[in-house]
Amino acid sequence: MAIIERPSVIPAAVGGAGATALATPSSSLGVFRRPVAATGWRSWVFTVDHKKIGIMYGVVSLFFFIVGGCEALLIRLQLAAPDNKVLGAGLYNEMFTMHATTMVFLFVMPMAAAFANYFLPLQVGARDVAFPRLNALSFWMFLFGGIFLNTSWFLGGAADGGWFMYSPNSSRLFSPSHGIDFWVLGLQIIGIASLVSSINLIVTVLNMRAPGMKLMNMPVFTWMVLVVQFLLLFALPVITVALFLLSFQRNFGAAFFDVDKGADPLLWQHLFWIFGHPEVYIIILPSFGIISEVLPTFARKPLFGYKFVVFSGAAIGFVGWGVWAHHMFASGLGPVSVAVFSVATMLIAIPTGVKICNWTLTLWGGKLWFTTAMMFAIGVIVLFTIGGLSGVTHAVAPADTQQTDTYHIVGHFHYVIVGGAVMGLFAGFYFWWPKVFGKLLNERLGKWNFWLMFFGVNLTFGPMHILGMQGQPRRMVVWPEKLTGEGFFNLHFWNQVATWGSFMIALGVLVFLINIIHTAKKAAPAPLDPWDARTLEWMTSSPPKAHNFDAIPTVHALDEFFHRKYEEVDTEHGARLVKVKSAEEVLAAEEARADAHIHLPSPSYWPIVLAFGLPIIAYGVIYNLLLSVVGAAIVLLGIFGWVLEPSVADDSDYDPPAGGSETKELSPVG
Amino acid sequence: MFVKPFSRRRVAAVVTFGFLLAGCAKDAPQDTFDPAGPNAREIDSLQRPVFYIAGVVGLIVLGAVAYAIWKFKDRGQDIPEQSHGNPKLEILLTILPAIILAGIAVPTVSQVFSLDKKDNDCVINVTGQQWWWEYDYVKGSTCGGVEITESIVTVSELVIPADTPVLLRITSRDVIHSFWIPRLNGKRDAVPGRLHTLRMEADEPGIYTGQCTEFCGLSHARMRQAAVALTTADFQSWVTNQTADYTSPEAGTTAAIGETTFIAQCSRCHQVDGLVDGAGNPVLAEPDRFVYSGAAPNLTNLMTRTAFAGWTFDLISDECRDRLWNESPETFGAAYLQGVWMYSAADATAPACFNETNLREWLLNAPAMKPMYTDPTKLAETGGKTRGMPALGLTQAQIDEIVAYLLERK
Repeated sequence: MAIIERPSVIPAAVGGAGATALATPSSSLGVFRRPVAATGWRSWVFTVDHKKIGIMYGVVSLFFFIVGGCEALLIRLQLAAPDNKVLGAGLYNEMFTMHATTMVFLFVMPMAAAFANYFLPLQVGARDVAFPRLNALSFWMFLFGGIFLNTSWFLGGAADGGWFMYSPNSSRLFSPSHGIDFWVLGLQIIGIASLVSSINLIVTVLNMRAPGMKLMNMPVFTWMVLVVQFLLLFALPVITVALFLLSFQRNFGAAFFDVDKGADPLLWQHLFWIFGHPEVYIIILPSFGIISEVLPTFARKPLFGYKFVVFSGAAIGFVGWGVWAHHMFASGLGPVSVAVFSVATMLIAIPTGVKICNWTLTLWGGKLWFTTAMMFAIGVIVLFTIGGLSGVTHAVAPADTQQTDTYHIVGHFHYVIVGGAVMGLFAGFYFWWPKVFGKLLNERLGKWNFWLMFFGVNLTFGPMHILGMQGQPRRMVVWPEKLTGEGFFNLHFWNQVATWGSFMIALGVLVFLINIIHTAKKAAPAPLDPWDARTLEWMTSSPPKAHNFDAIPTVHALDEFFHRKYEEVDTEHGARLVKVKSAEEVLAAEEARADAHIHLPSPSYWPIVLAFGLPIIAYGVIYNLLLSVVGAAIVLLGIFGWVLEPSVADDSDYDPPAGGSETKELSPVG
Repeated sequence: MFVKPFSRRRVAAVVTFGFLLAGCAKDAPQDTFDPAGPNAREIDSLQRPVFYIAGVVGLIVLGAVAYAIWKFKDRGQDIPEQSHGNPKLEILLTILPAIILAGIAVPTVSQVFSLDKKDNDCVINVTGQQWWWEYDYVKGSTCGGVEITESIVTVSELVIPADTPVLLRITSRDVIHSFWIPRLNGKRDAVPGRLHTLRMEADEPGIYTGQCTEFCGLSHARMRQAAVALTTADFQSWVTNQTADYTSPEAGTTAAIGETTFIAQCSRCHQVDGLVDGAGNPVLAEPDRFVYSGAAPNLTNLMTRTAFAGWTFDLISDECRDRLWNESPETFGAAYLQGVWMYSAADATAPACFNETNLREWLLNAPAMKPMYTDPTKLAETGGKTRGMPALGLTQAQIDEIVAYLLERK
């Protein structure tokens, strides 16, 4: 598809120079022509532009972040005092299930997808992803899946089985509401979205890099995203199978996890965690990628041990498949399995440790510029180190039999996910905001945002380590007064600290939202290269033009953009790095050799139509299979429309730049 | 962060004071750092050094980060050399954690196997169900040298002889639960259709609390348990009492009426061993007809326990509980064996420690105290069987009678 849609880019990707535009029909096959709107809502709803899709991913994820955050605050309010009555037991169970589900599947993963969508093509010097319509499909499936999942709140209650939904507690017998059906089917839809997007991004990285960009010249963010896509590609089918089994058990009377019929409920645990552990790395690696961009930029030196960071990321990706049973040390697997998984889990600490050392050594000897993005990135090093080290204590299986399913674990994985992944995403927000929106987020508000979140995370999740070791299990709607203790480590005080801390995080997020509004309304346009950045995404205008680059850059080195700006100059004090060109000059040089013909993929009606059919099928599975037939018809219609759609829009070619003059702003016609 | 020196001192003072407090006051009763038996102590002996190592490594890394932040901040120095790393240093920094982890891995593996040993002087079957634990002492077995002459089925409070390795054989009747007494051992899941073992041993007599730690549905938070360790002599007394013949209440008392009320209202689900009806036929509970898990707590010796309903609600008053929990190992058993009659004068006619309010409230409307699936509209999947005790619509008079009757189940 991409070959037809984007004829000018393909020869570049395979190394050829000349662009041979293929003659393609614009209306012969389809009933509809392709949409062409470049402004208004149609330009968003039917877009296949990776940047617009990236922004939409970001907006929706941010919305779900707020939803999941409110759920978290309610949980913390309930646990602020012994035998508290803010939430009832049933609602509380729904709340923590949906908090985890929302944060993992509707915030961290899609927010990483937002960054990946927007910046991966820019970082590899491409004009879009390999399959632009599939990209739009991924987004719409994610959005509809997320909405579908959350409609359960209004249709008899959300899922209440905990986010790992252990069987047999997840069967209809034990959870008679439709909550878990919504959960299963919603995740299924979101899972397809991620799977499609993973294939898309893998092909993009492998096939569409700018000339000269070898794999080992790719920015680390792109590398980490690539590793994540492979993890998704292999992990999602496992959870898809598991979800199908559960779906069939709940809705069609199958007995995959029914003990009475001879099933072993541990099957679910294995399936879930074979997905679930790689999922942890799916969550964390994009953030590792982001801070591996941010730290070198603001330390003004390349990432220390680029190859080690890349290979350790890949190693984490591989070893991550061999540690799933460390979530099951208390499940009764027997000592041999436990010992093996215990040691494997320790193994994975090594590549993780390598990364932390490399980031620290990137700072070492640098010229550190403490922007908000940099502070968030350093925050990730600090918080992830704590989370990683407490992780090592769980790898010790006997110790884990004390720690598992307590607040100690909750503290651990929130240091990893909030301290590691979310803080990393925030580093990305502050770092790339000017690239996406052409305006710098306010640094003063940014500092407030950072410190509130940094202290908030420590106050919320630090005490949880204490609470867990004092015997407070997770997922308990109440903890009783009589088990509180009186000493320094009493449950009462530290639960209160955690609750105050959670509101501090919320305040930090609020400051961020205020910052967004403030920036949109008040901020002046950002300079072209505000951070003196290093990678290709900065070698174009901000926000980038629809076609990203006027000319596809030729890459000579890691940190290409930096090396175009800086050169080593001999002085009387020895060789010094001196800025020889400004970003504007680098850009002007690129514009001067702008491509004559740039074919961009045309927008399409069909991704949103196809995606819309899926939740209807899902509602049908829950309520009435006739509805599923309607949904399936919509999906089928979408597929036919998609296939028969003309490959380009009428006259949607872009005007070639007028013979090397200064008018390089290319606009679509039609 | 701008911390004024004086406030830093104040913070230090608060922290110091906190640690001083920690020295005098007791931490939570489920403190995993306070092992009270050989299994938990073995774990502790590994867990503590690992925490210390992690702490030291953490301090080194965070110290390095802090130093780098301070040392290399932009003071107008040159753009640094664009070096891409130092392979020797990289390899060193890979090998170093590998060595530390190998040092942790060796004792870990050996301990995984040693904790899995099954040698014991007592076997107790443990069964989890929504939302309480049942313990079954098999007739004819011996437990710490004490012969179990009759089958004992008890609930929530696991009574074991101190200083004796006990092997729990753990399973579940419905969903997955997890048995955890933090001061005695790590946790082990109770999985339906599977039998897992876990060793328990307490050094000294005392009460060790615990909690179900695998999310098991609506009232997961209210599925608690305790292990009670007694000296061999006290354990013998406990067994003797548990296996004693049933005695009916004295005729004409409220308790005697209560027996009839109990048979009419409660005995369909709750077993009281030895209970016979007016015609002299044994009254056998059939919880499998009414409760999904097929079990309901055995009430034969209810008043020997200190809490009920998944060990959530106390049968004894708060004062008595505090006093009992703080008894010395020497005096604990004598008090515990009195059940709700503990700390009562020898000639007392009413138990001093009985927490009547909780029990009466429970009899009046159990689901209001502990959420359970008893709502008829939600029982379609289980064919009308509840998952917990429904509200029975008892009158105050009936409650009086049942309480009086139960008070004699000691």
